[in-house]
Amino acid sequence: MPQTYAIDVDALAAKYRELQGDAHPDRHSGADEAAKMRAVQLTSLINEGFATLKSPLKRAGYLLSLEGFDAEQVSQADLSMDLLMEQMQLRESLESLPKDESALDELADLKSDTEQKIAKRQQEFEVALTSNDLSDARRLFHEMQFLDKLLQEINSGEEQRLGY
Amino acid sequence: MALLQIAEPGDKPAKPAHRLAVGIDLGTTNSLVAAPCAGKVEILPDADGGYLLPSIVHYGAEGEVTVGADARKSSLTDPGNTVVSVKRLLGRGVAELRDSPQYRHYEFAADRDDHSPAIVTRAGSKDPVEVSAEILKSLAKRAEHNLNGALEGAVITVPAYFNDAQRQQTKDAAKLAGLNVLRLLNEPTAAAVAYGLDSQDQGNIIVFDLGGGTFDVSLLSLQKGVFEVLSTGGDTHLGGDDFDQLLADWISEQAGLSITEVATQRAQLNQLATQLKHQLSELESVEVEFAGWQGELTRAEFADLCKPLVARTITTCRRVLRDGDLKVEDVDNIVMVGGSTRMPVVRDAVANFFGKPPLTNIDPDKVVAIGAGIQADVLIGNKPADSFLLLDVNPLSLGLETMGELVEKIIPRNTTIPVARAQEFTTFKDGQTAMSLHVVQGERELVSDCRSLARFELRGIPPMVAGAAKIRVTFQVDADGLLSAMAEELSTGVRSEIQVKPSYGLNSQQIEEMLQASQEHAREDMEIRALKEAQVEAAQLVDAIQAARAADGDLLTAEEGQQIDTAVAALAKAVQEADSKQLHEQTEALNRLSGEFAARRMDLHISKALRGESINKVESTPE
Repeated sequence: MPQTYAIDVDALAAKYRELQGDAHPDRHSGADEAAKMRAVQLTSLINEGFATLKSPLKRAGYLLSLEGFDAEQVSQADLSMDLLMEQMQLRESLESLPKDESALDELADLKSDTEQKIAKRQQEFEVALTSNDLSDARRLFHEMQFLDKLLQEINSGEEQRLGY
Repeated sequence: MALLQIAEPGDKPAKPAHRLAVGIDLGTTNSLVAAPCAGKVEILPDADGGYLLPSIVHYGAEGEVTVGADARKSSLTDPGNTVVSVKRLLGRGVAELRDSPQYRHYEFAADRDDHSPAIVTRAGSKDPVEVSAEILKSLAKRAEHNLNGALEGAVITVPAYFNDAQRQQTKDAAKLAGLNVLRLLNEPTAAAVAYGLDSQDQGNIIVFDLGGGTFDVSLLSLQKGVFEVLSTGGDTHLGGDDFDQLLADWISEQAGLSITEVATQRAQLNQLATQLKHQLSELESVEVEFAGWQGELTRAEFADLCKPLVARTITTCRRVLRDGDLKVEDVDNIVMVGGSTRMPVVRDAVANFFGKPPLTNIDPDKVVAIGAGIQADVLIGNKPADSFLLLDVNPLSLGLETMGELVEKIIPRNTTIPVARAQEFTTFKDGQTAMSLHVVQGERELVSDCRSLARFELRGIPPMVAGAAKIRVTFQVDADGLLSAMAEELSTGVRSEIQVKPSYGLNSQQIEEMLQASQEHAREDMEIRALKEAQVEAAQLVDAIQAARAADGDLLTAEEGQQIDTAVAALAKAVQEADSKQLHEQTEALNRLSGEFAARRMDLHISKALRGESINKVESTPE
């Protein structure tokens, strides 16, 4: 696979299945314990790699880590005041919604709005990475992290209201 | 013997060249076993041609253990010594079951220090692993009888929603039954295998499995021979039994039964409820009669009664789609599994939600076992290895307890397995040299709302200020969905690990002991079988010699005849007394004595044959 942010997800999935086809423990059910153990470890690694590359957010973090940046360490300095303000407002509006099904429409709007924001950051991230603008890429990655967290909260809000 | 029975057609079926492996559907209500027969995986029948083995075990007064339909009869007459729906007890603690009205007719053993819900029977206390092993043994015996050989491996299905403890106990039960487990396979995945291979579909499949006691929904994607489980959801305590329970409650309410009447007639009520439910799958309305009360129940009324249960199943479907990030219209096929999906009220609700009729052309009771049989055939090596591959997910999130009794998820649910994930933790006190790690399973935030899987400790952490130590905790889940956890202090490399075993139930020592005990029983069983075979053989010899004496007695001198008659009488006595040693000695003695007689008969008959009589005809006369 080329080391780029924009990837062909179908090609990734096909490659993943090809690798699993050889490595999976079920392919080694007759082998000795050591070989089985190796199969479990290798398959775990392949699964982890696929999960990382499949997710746009994790993929961004991984590509940044290849540039020597630790995705886990977010410092205040990386974040713009505007982003923090926007996030606070979005969260407040999320919390002020009624706790029953009547909020579902508004949640859906908020969700598609957030998804659009994420899509926009993804495009910008790709540009930043290709032009080797790492500081911009880092900023965009942090923004995507925040938006992703928000999206998760919207989702769980929906689930609660749907009675899951 | 051999010479006296020349014409006996002794050709036994040739031993099959492929290795014998079966798929087992170990169900709450019924269990099945399937294996490839003549290129197609089929359910193996019992002696009467039935394919469902009721998952019921009865411990009899004479120490005998019966499984299946015979045991079911005992559930009415001797409920205290009959265990039904044992799958519901697997991996659970006795405390949570004692308060449940469903299990009120069981007496749980008080003296078990492992907290397992062992049921007190006249044969001693029996825990769910032991009871499940009896069911598995019965299935294995059926398979070996059908297939004419010893089993080399088995694939056993479990609900996708089974937690680690339940999976581990299923494996333990198989081990106790002497089975080599090739793989624990999620039931819905097995069902998709059964359908997928036949029709070579590509796309997204929902497997809707409403069995006797458990409910599962799985979302699978099938691409070029690779099944991928995208998400699963379900309820370990929802199934046909609950529909029966609703009906039983309805009947007792309509009939005005008192609480004691309900308690004493529970089994009869349940049986009637099951029967009515089955009838309502065929009929629009049924007559009901119980304890002098008479009434009628229509399909519509029944549907109304079941509404809350059916609604729960649809909510789960919604959630599974959501977890798999797909919409209703992305689902290409819906596979129906489990006897309860025969209910029109369930089928209608599913068709309505997905906007298309579900697949029902494979018997919903058999489909899981057939899929497991197909997978067993692949795993034992009879099928080319690249035929297909199953990629499963873990059904429940796995995490660690952190400060404030909160759960830190390490492997979220619906992660493709096998998987290894690591996370770093630190100390919270200055100079802390040991850390207690508590592994939990579940989706909730608080430890108390999740299931405790295991605790282990990491010692020998060098004293540092709080927050300075770096402890990496790694979770590894294998292809069966079983977890091992490891903790390592990064600066010194001290480490500690644990293979997660169920918090309840047997430890491996107990399993070994029970295995040994069962092997001793197996020896007894083998001896009994050998005796039976010797008895049959001896009786045949006695018959054959008596017939030969009557036909060709003149070939013997009076003394020879006397000797043979004495030996025949001695052997007949040994048969009657079932004396194994005597049987062997007398059979041999008689064979020796009659050897000369047989040879003379051969000569006589050959010379007769030379005169134009056929051997076959001659040899058939003594019979």
